[in-house]
Amino acid sequence: MAYSRAKVSEFVIIDGNEISFEPGETLLEAAKRADVEIPTLCYDPRLTPAGACRMCLVEVEGSRLMQPACSFKAAPGQVVRTQTARVQRNREFILSLHLADTIHDRDVMEDNNPSHVHELAERYGTAGDWTTLAKQRAGRPDDVNKFISFRPDRCILCSLCTRYCDQVEAVSAITLAGRGAHTTITTADARSLTDTTCELCGGCVDVCPTGAMTEKAALEYGKPERELDKVRTTCNFCGVGCQIDLNVDTEANQVVKVTSPPPGTTVNDGNLCVKGRFANDFIHHEDRLTVPLVRDPGGGLREATWDEALDRTVRGLQAAAAKHGNDALAFISSSRCTGEENYLMQKMARAAFGTHNIHQCAAT
Amino acid sequence: MTNSIPEIRDADFLFVTGSNTSEAHPIIAMEMKLAVQRGARLAVADPRKIWMTEIADWHLQLKPGTDVWLLNAMAHVIVSEGLEATDWIAENTEDFDKVRETALRYPPEEAAEVTGVPAETIREVARAYAATPKAGIYYTLGITEHTTGTDNVYALSNLVLMTGHLGVRSAGMNPLRGQNNVQGANDSGATPVFYPGYQNASDPEVRGAFAEAWGVEQSETTGLNLNEMMKAMSDGQLKALYLLGEDIVISEPNVCRVEEAMNELDFVVVQDIFFNESCRYADVVLPAACFAEKEGVFTNSDRRVQRVRRAVEPPGQARADWEILLEVMKRAGLEQPDYQHPREIYAEMASLSPKFRGISHERIEREGGMQWPVTGPEEPSCEYLHKGGVLRGKGLFVSVEYRPPFEQEDVEYPLVLSTGRTLYHYNAATQTRRNEQLAHKQPEGFVEVHPKNARKLGIEDGQKVDVVTRRGRVRARVMLSRQVRKNAIWMPFHFPDVRTNYLTTDAGDAVTGTGEYKVCAARLEPVPDSVPERVFPGAFAAVE
Ligand code: SF4
Ligand code: SF4
Ligand code: FES
Repeated sequence: MAYSRAKVSEFVIIDGNEISFEPGETLLEAAKRADVEIPTLCYDPRLTPAGACRMCLVEVEGSRLMQPACSFKAAPGQVVRTQTARVQRNREFILSLHLADTIHDRDVMEDNNPSHVHELAERYGTAGDWTTLAKQRAGRPDDVNKFISFRPDRCILCSLCTRYCDQVEAVSAITLAGRGAHTTITTADARSLTDTTCELCGGCVDVCPTGAMTEKAALEYGKPERELDKVRTTCNFCGVGCQIDLNVDTEANQVVKVTSPPPGTTVNDGNLCVKGRFANDFIHHEDRLTVPLVRDPGGGLREATWDEALDRTVRGLQAAAAKHGNDALAFISSSRCTGEENYLMQKMARAAFGTHNIHQCAAT
Repeated sequence: MTNSIPEIRDADFLFVTGSNTSEAHPIIAMEMKLAVQRGARLAVADPRKIWMTEIADWHLQLKPGTDVWLLNAMAHVIVSEGLEATDWIAENTEDFDKVRETALRYPPEEAAEVTGVPAETIREVARAYAATPKAGIYYTLGITEHTTGTDNVYALSNLVLMTGHLGVRSAGMNPLRGQNNVQGANDSGATPVFYPGYQNASDPEVRGAFAEAWGVEQSETTGLNLNEMMKAMSDGQLKALYLLGEDIVISEPNVCRVEEAMNELDFVVVQDIFFNESCRYADVVLPAACFAEKEGVFTNSDRRVQRVRRAVEPPGQARADWEILLEVMKRAGLEQPDYQHPREIYAEMASLSPKFRGISHERIEREGGMQWPVTGPEEPSCEYLHKGGVLRGKGLFVSVEYRPPFEQEDVEYPLVLSTGRTLYHYNAATQTRRNEQLAHKQPEGFVEVHPKNARKLGIEDGQKVDVVTRRGRVRARVMLSRQVRKNAIWMPFHFPDVRTNYLTTDAGDAVTGTGEYKVCAARLEPVPDSVPERVFPGAFAAVE
């Protein structure tokens, strides 16, 4: 069978250790399994490698040039070195080049999303006086969509966003355009994202290692992601059960934005749709009910204490049951509520009010 | 689902029917796109030219409501060409002969006339499906929201059984759940026919067990399903209603009747996060916490029990639904343990349901989401069902005959109206409409009309029309579109200004009571002097 994963034990030797790999795997994938860290900037397990950033170069015996671990296939008996001075020099050099191409100050750079470039620069160091190296990328006028902003001054042209949009979301709303120093990320005819095939999945924001692609609302909120607390939970829209991270400003009791857990860790493989990603301001909407309400006989609803409202609830149900029998009561539960709450709702119908009249909206 | 979501990308053949996957389940659609990129073949059966048809090898653009004809014709091809999995059928199933007989009465040529799908297409798809070992079927409301919904599901499962596409990774039969926790609500017993864990409510032994566990005698009267409840409400049999997090005035079909009946009730409690339309009929409104403000679990389409965690405090005095329900029960005289956290409630449910016995919050924290059945603390999570044989012992074939939809088009109402969801909104849209950004992308409801019908009626793109059925009329903007078949119109059901449930019938499926949202007869009346405006159709429009 073409797709079964045949287990043939083959080995590469990385930094002197024998590491097994499966046919077709890259050096990076083999190294990952053995917890050997190779830094990358344009790699994502969901995408075909672009080999664009050169961050992952390693030495392979028998090859004069260093090779990109993200796309170079492992071969039996191959000897690979990831820790040599030459590898390290390359990392410093590449990071310097990318830094020169973005905002230099990390605090400014990370006004919303974290910068993977700056993080790696702190871990691996940089070469010489990179601040004088090159000029930053020219801007293009931002578009009017209310979801996602592209900020060219941060972009390092790793093409993660465009590859994601092509290969995972499969709508190709954004592309690399222009040449050389003028290369940038744009849409067809530089239209606003909302006037393109874009489905507003926000995947381009998630994969972007620099914050060049960023959520407008969160940016406006003005607190960087690193100062927010992430709470892992399950999306409350469709039945896929995507795992999402609510990014919370705990002091302000405010959900600021939603991010996706890393690929390969959850059922959604790091992906989200427009609802999971962006439809969260209902949480803090001013229309939320905040006080119990009760209706006065023949009148309108007025505010009440919990005690009064709960008392009225029980008395109302019991009175109807006493007069017309238990089966004159019906309980409609909700697929929007938790499993425990649905359990309690049917327990209430069956045990507290003696009827099997319990169902929910949408039986599918 | 018999399979898991991550298995989809490894399938070699996908039969997607009655599911506008890229809009209703974008994440599942991503998995399907991956499979197609890998070389899997895709057949889409849908009356509309939805986005998925763009990447499909076949689009079976059937006339709404003719699913049984189409599926039985596929079965016809399989049995008449000897493509069925004879040994597997003998070992794992019952009653194949009846289905074979029925199928033989549904030849593809006749099917082509009824459904509008060419006979050759039906043949190709049936052959490809039968011949591919990793072939999965995916369906949603497009299959179930019919008076023949249960029949449709049987017709599909007959295909699965006769080809032995069960108990195999990336094959199987996969309903995609429309709402986050429909699976979980059913699992928990929020249905008249089952106690938690699908234990039959009409079985005296089961009732006895719950009577003992809860310390209260259990009623022997069969409960009503939602559709029956709505009818019983109109008939005056129901007198009190407790609504948890649902807005039946927005979501139920034939809403005029529902509204009238609500007025007649003695007592209505609504417990929700917003002041919804049903609150207008409420005697008591209880403010609830939303998903970001409470703890618990949701169960997704692939039976995966996953955690919901509290990130923020609820607004004002709002409380978590579980806290409110416990309090109501206590006040109604049913003593309850002093539960402090939903993990304890889950433990109570698990102790009473063999299917979930091995699942607990603690275990989910350690191992991540768990797929039931997990019958004991040592049992692992279950990736796909029916491994090594059919779950209920023998897979039962159920032969089904075509029945026309409850309402068919006629001279007065010459069009077929279907309703559905779009990518940008969610159900009654109480949440998505309150998102300024989404409202900006897709601000109002609309009706998709085929250009040929529009020309005949003198209707322009973007102008307003009245959509009229036997039950009501609503006004909406027209979007000319070749996504719909000729003589068919389609409307999204999210918008309160364009309430499609004034139009839809409340004729329900005989077994599940699910309303026939997908088919009813309608006509269009142009609104004079309406100024055309552009409507945003959603992610994908095949407008010329
Ligand atoms: S939001 Fe999604 S669809 Fe839109 S440009 Fe980004 S990746 Fe593409
Ligand atoms: S916007 Fe971000 S993801 Fe896209 S190319 Fe630039 S740096 Fe990479
Ligand atoms: S990660 Fe290998 S070239 Fe970018």
